[in-house]
Amino acid sequence: MLAVKNLTKTFNTPGGDVMALRDINFAVDRGQFVSIIGKSGSGKSTLLSMLGALDTPTSGSLEVDGVDLAKLSSRQQTSYRAKTIGFVFQQYNLIPNLSALENVMLALEFGGTKPASRRDEATRLLKQVGLDEQEIQRKPTRLSGGQQQRVAIARAIANSPALILADEPTGNLDSETGQKIFDLLHKLSRSKNTTIIAVTHDLDIAGKTDKTFMLKDGKITTKQ
Amino acid sequence: MNVVSRGIKNATRSPLRGGAIVLMLAISIGLVLSMMVARSSVQTKINDVLASAGTKVTINAAGINGFAGGGNPLTADNVTTIKNTAHVASISSTLTDQLGSTDTNLQSSLELGSFGERQNRFSDGSVPTPPADSTSNGSSTTTDRQTMRSRINVTGTTNPNVASVNGGTLVIGSGKTIDGNSSDLVALIGQNLATKNNLSAGSTFTAYGKTITVNGIYSTDNSFTDNGIIMPLATVQNLTGQPGAVTSVVATIDSSENVDSTVSALKSKLGSSVDVTSEAAQAENSVSALKGIASLSLAGVIGAAIAATAIILLAMILIVRERRREIGVLKAIGGSNFKVIGQFVVESLTITIIGAVVGLALGVLVSGPMTTALASSSSNSSTVIISNGSGSTATVARPAGDFGGFGRGLNQLRTNITNVTASLTPQIFLSAMGITLAVAIIGSLLPAWLIARIRPAEVLRTE
Repeated sequence: MLAVKNLTKTFNTPGGDVMALRDINFAVDRGQFVSIIGKSGSGKSTLLSMLGALDTPTSGSLEVDGVDLAKLSSRQQTSYRAKTIGFVFQQYNLIPNLSALENVMLALEFGGTKPASRRDEATRLLKQVGLDEQEIQRKPTRLSGGQQQRVAIARAIANSPALILADEPTGNLDSETGQKIFDLLHKLSRSKNTTIIAVTHDLDIAGKTDKTFMLKDGKITTKQ
Repeated sequence: MNVVSRGIKNATRSPLRGGAIVLMLAISIGLVLSMMVARSSVQTKINDVLASAGTKVTINAAGINGFAGGGNPLTADNVTTIKNTAHVASISSTLTDQLGSTDTNLQSSLELGSFGERQNRFSDGSVPTPPADSTSNGSSTTTDRQTMRSRINVTGTTNPNVASVNGGTLVIGSGKTIDGNSSDLVALIGQNLATKNNLSAGSTFTAYGKTITVNGIYSTDNSFTDNGIIMPLATVQNLTGQPGAVTSVVATIDSSENVDSTVSALKSKLGSSVDVTSEAAQAENSVSALKGIASLSLAGVIGAAIAATAIILLAMILIVRERRREIGVLKAIGGSNFKVIGQFVVESLTITIIGAVVGLALGVLVSGPMTTALASSSSNSSTVIISNGSGSTATVARPAGDFGGFGRGLNQLRTNITNVTASLTPQIFLSAMGITLAVAIIGSLLPAWLIARIRPAEVLRTE
């Protein structure tokens, strides 16, 4: 499903070129739950940006279902992000002046869902991740961290993406809530055959995924 | 929820800040509208004044201004030259004189007063008379002055209507007018002079040793003018022994487009022996203050529009910078540049439209008083200009008896200039709305460019 070959990313900085990723190679099958662990500055977020078509690699290829993301036009990248990828962020990154429902409807709009069915679909998704009728009408500031992350997950799965990229999805949550979120993601990967790649510091969580890659100084050092 | 509704919702996201932006915009847009109204109103008034200035050109003998000054009057040849100058449609000639107590049996209706005494401190022979208390028989001189009356003004003219105060037809209260081209011993008598001397139509009086018949009594509601006598030009020329002489000629030009060229031609033909002035030139001077206001108003429109643009531009730049992460998120979850930019453009438009509604309402309210205030300040300025620019004509010559529609016309112009009325036309309103729309679009361009430049990866890298 996902094949990363000889992926390299170099940033030009005033202090000189910085190689964030060095000759990365790995593959992930459909429906697998993969974790990437590593210290700060090891290149985890950069790798996630490449996988999410938020940035382009300096060299190498990155294929999702046979499509090389590096060769997509800007418009194709936007479409890819809307329909094939779902993002879950550590800070949730919900739009603050929109309700939980509207945040999910926003993703559905970008994914091309017809206006008439967005509200019902968003409601169904939010209930699926465990929010009740009242909670889905609330703005993010009136939801707990765990509830916000559930909304973010509902937003990420809104367009039935083939790949969910999660950047420290439990990083801002207590261990109990973090476990629940992990379980939710795990359940999604199993029930919908969605591939999930999660960047995490939490070794307990990493230990429960199908695959774990350790990133160090821009290189994958361990594959489990 | 779509791009438009999100944009509108975002506009009210921060009521305090949004309100402040709307208020600043409203003031700027209100200023745009009121300045446009002021400019349009003043411009309309300028056009009206210039259009009403007419096509009259006055040719005075150089150095002679009414009864003041000195020099030689215009000659018959001068008059012929004027008449034959291209574009001169018609002329009316005037010769003025004054009657002293030895010239007539009439008594002036005007008391000398302190002003008259001051003006008559010179003897009739134009040699300055020493002050009363310095003469050998000072008491006698003082007595003489107390009994002195002002002189009676005589106007010989081919067109009796030149005495009309408002430049129109002279009002004859009783009797009939005179034929200005005759040489008959007939006269029109001012109402006050007639009353003072018990004259009526058909009466006679003596002047220059001749008996003259009163044809009619005219009234102008001007005490000075109504103390005068109007006679045919040739009659006055004969009685005063000045055949062919005139002190001023008012020439009517065939078209306002030809006034300037005709003035130049007259100056060229008549040389330095005459002073040529046109109503149009005087009107041009008179409206110069209004033109200044019009220019100021235009600068105000431009300045206020720039201020409004700057306000919305800076506000949107601030908003975009503040929401960099949010923009990145929108792009990361599949929002296209078009949709994200569209959302912010709608937000900008919403803020501008709210500001425009408040501002245009504000503009409607203040445009009237503002125009009045501007016109009021301009009328003060224009009065000063008239006094300075043609003070010798307006202040000195007129009391000396320079009857003429030209001067009356200027008075009318002066009155016109002060009557600027603010009028908010649909065209001005639409123009103001157009400027507002341009403000919103220009104010959104740079923020849109900034939004397009935001890469989602840069935002997520800060995670």
